[in-house]
Amino acid sequence: MTVKIKTLERQGSTFIEKLYLVEVFRGMRTTFGHFWRILLDNSKSYVRHYPEVKPEITPRWRGRHRLTTHEDGTMKCVACFMCQTNCPSHCISIEAGERVDGKSEKMPIRFEIDLLECIYCGYCVEACPMDAIRMDTGIYSVISSERSSVVKGMDELLATPGAFSEEDYKKRGL
Amino acid sequence: MSQLDILMVVLRVAFGAFIPICFIAIGVWMERRGAGFIQDRLGPNRCNIFGFRAGGLVQNLADGVKLIFKEDMIAGHIQHKFYFVLAPVLVFFTALVSFAVIPFADTLILGGKSYIMQTVPLDIGILWFLACTGFAVYGIILAGWSSHNKYGILGGLRSAAQVIAYEIPMGLAIVSLLVVYGTVNLSEIARFQGQLLFGFIPMWGVILQPLGVVIFIVAAFAETNRTPFDFAEGESEIVAGFHIEYSSMKFGMFFLGEYVAMFVSSAIIVTLFFGGYQIPWLATETMVAYAQPIAIVLMLLLPVITYYFTNWIRKNNVSHYNRQNDPLVREANVYIKICWILAAAVELILLTLVVINPSADGVRIFVVLLQMASFLLKATIMCFVYVWVRWTLPRFRYDQLQKLGWQILLPMSLVNIFITSAVVVALS
Repeated sequence: MTVKIKTLERQGSTFIEKLYLVEVFRGMRTTFGHFWRILLDNSKSYVRHYPEVKPEITPRWRGRHRLTTHEDGTMKCVACFMCQTNCPSHCISIEAGERVDGKSEKMPIRFEIDLLECIYCGYCVEACPMDAIRMDTGIYSVISSERSSVVKGMDELLATPGAFSEEDYKKRGL
Repeated sequence: MSQLDILMVVLRVAFGAFIPICFIAIGVWMERRGAGFIQDRLGPNRCNIFGFRAGGLVQNLADGVKLIFKEDMIAGHIQHKFYFVLAPVLVFFTALVSFAVIPFADTLILGGKSYIMQTVPLDIGILWFLACTGFAVYGIILAGWSSHNKYGILGGLRSAAQVIAYEIPMGLAIVSLLVVYGTVNLSEIARFQGQLLFGFIPMWGVILQPLGVVIFIVAAFAETNRTPFDFAEGESEIVAGFHIEYSSMKFGMFFLGEYVAMFVSSAIIVTLFFGGYQIPWLATETMVAYAQPIAIVLMLLLPVITYYFTNWIRKNNVSHYNRQNDPLVREANVYIKICWILAAAVELILLTLVVINPSADGVRIFVVLLQMASFLLKATIMCFVYVWVRWTLPRFRYDQLQKLGWQILLPMSLVNIFITSAVVVALS
């Protein structure tokens, strides 16, 4: 197999270029063009006015986690500890207990994610055999004035709805 | 000394002290908004007082408050605390003082007495400027050395080497300029540029000394430590260079000093090469003689300019997303009203000049005000050039900097002296 070779022409050795001034003025013409365009009509700038205009979040985006449920409202998680074992930053802590709703034998009685530790890598989602943990809430900004409220417990994780339809989520191609 | 004499002294000193400080605000604002516009962004435009953002100028206030209230600390390893504190003062003070010799209007003649419109009417003019800006670098070297930090030392060293390399071409460019003007007094230099070459070209330094302009401006960029010659700071190479150990208002002094230096060197470039306060084709005596026609032309021009300016405000001071009862439109309405009120006030003043034939003194003051406006406009444009170049060119490599200084600018300025002297001798 031959390697594709692209020979780049080395710039800057001609007399005109060595004079600097000509090239400097050409550069200044370019930047002034941009300056003048925005000065005359500042709606042409490539800016999102962030707090008011939110960015568009795609289904592939790894946002804050949530725990999914079966259609009858019982949680899918079976406390297999896959996500906790996989987590590179040790932010998930699970305590397993006996399951009483008949879906399986185990379920978590405590499921906490410390979002200050989490690096949003998505390994927990990939590891989960039950599709019980997802990062499809579309929440990208978690702020708080105290540490304890950033550790999300089971109730909050279960209560957060997903931001996308089931079809869109399946199409994200992971 | 009469009361008028004292008043004139106070006015001139006030101008010399406050204009550079006002230009800090304008310079910082121009830098940040200009950088934004050049990079297709908007720059800081959120800060406001009761919804009034003044185009982003309020951000300067916020920055100032932040700098003043930050913890003012001196790191424990610094042994020479006196020099450490002295350094930012030196940088700021020398930059401010070097503005003192720059003439901002032609000599004002009131009641037979003439007042030179310089803060300090010195004959040595340009030499004072060279001495002061040369001294500013001591502040930077002192800061680098007393910080007791390797980055600080490197910044100071670079600055010292750079100043040696660029003071020489700058001085030589001035020498060839002095050959042309025949004086070091900046007032006389500015007056000289009011003449006309061949009867129709303004005799500005830029036309008499095309090579000198390039050398001087390049050297002035190096002198003020701004990109592409910001080696003393060298953010991406030596973190922050000479001001790495400084915080709070001590850093603020360096920061403000840089902008004062930028304004002052714009002012000196304008004075030496772009006619100073001169309005092209309108020498002082012409303006005094034709004060009323000039006032009428201004009266006609002002509403047109205000009309286009207010339209520009109306177009650009809106939110770029759906917003009910857009507060920015309300803000724009206030600005537009202020613009028209100001325009009306100026019109009224001009009208009194046209209707009641004023005394000679009144005409003189009118001319001086016009020249001051012309000088400030030119200096502002030159400040913009500083900003413009900063956001266009990347930093030079250190050896390229020295090569440019010693191998290109130095011989070029020597050749320039020879050519200039030859022409001057041949013509006289």
